[in-house]
Amino acid sequence: MCPVLGHLDGRFESADAEAEHRIAVLYQEFGGPLLRHVRKSTGNDLQWAEDVVQETLVRAWRNSARLQWEPSLIWAWLLTVARRIVIDGRRRKSVRPHEVEPPEVDMMAVPDGSERALSAIVVADALRSLSEEHREVIEQTYLRDRTISEAAEILGIPPGTVKSRLYYGIRALRELLRDKGVAG
Amino acid sequence: MHDEVAAYVLGVLDEEEHEAFERHLDTCEQCQAELIELAELPDQLDELKNTPSASDDDPPMSMSR
Repeated sequence: MCPVLGHLDGRFESADAEAEHRIAVLYQEFGGPLLRHVRKSTGNDLQWAEDVVQETLVRAWRNSARLQWEPSLIWAWLLTVARRIVIDGRRRKSVRPHEVEPPEVDMMAVPDGSERALSAIVVADALRSLSEEHREVIEQTYLRDRTISEAAEILGIPPGTVKSRLYYGIRALRELLRDKGVAG
Repeated sequence: MHDEVAAYVLGVLDEEEHEAFERHLDTCEQCQAELIELAELPDQLDELKNTPSASDDDPPMSMSR
C-alpha cells in the first residue's frame, strides 16, 4: 500500500484519496485544452467554464473504461460531454441576462472579434448552401438549444426524420467547411 | 442508431437517448470514428450563436407566434 495512504484507517478514505489523485491526473492531461475550448461556448465566462470542465472530468472519471480509448476519441467524447453540460446550463439560465467575464491575459485560444466575425460569415455561407431540409433541422435543434423531440414537434415531422436529416446535414456541412479550409 | 451520432455530438438528444447512445458508442467503432470527425463542428456553429448579427438573415430568436 502506498505509504501516503497507509496511515488512513478506513477504506473509503483511501479510495477517496485515490479518486482525487486520478481526477488530478485527468486535469493535468485534459483540463487546460478543455477549459480553452469551453470558454468559447460560455461567452468567455471563466467561472462557468471552470465548473463545466470540473463536471466533465468527474463524469470522465466515473466512466473510466472510456479513458482506455485512444486519445483522439477521449478528446472528442470530452468535448461532447462538456458541450452537453454547457447546453443544459444555458437552458437553465436562459432567462437570466448574460454575465461576461472581463477579458484576461490568457486569451491565446480565443479568436479576436474580427477573426470570429469572419468565420461566422464562412459558417453562415456554408449553412445557406445546404438543402432547406438539412439547414432547417440544424437551425431548429442546435442553434436554438432545442432537443430532437422539441424540434420534431415544431417541424411536424417524426423525431427519427429529424435525426437522420441532422446526420446528413451535419456531414454535408462538415464537407463544405473542410473545402473552405476552416479548421475546427 | 448510427445516425444519432450527429444529434449526440450536438448535445440535442433527450437524456435517455443520450445515455443509450453513449452505451452504443462504447462498442461501435463506426460511431467512434464519426464522433472524432464531427466533434469540433459544433464549435464552428457556435460562431453563429455568438455573433447574432448575420445582417441578411433572420435573427435566430425571431419566432413569430
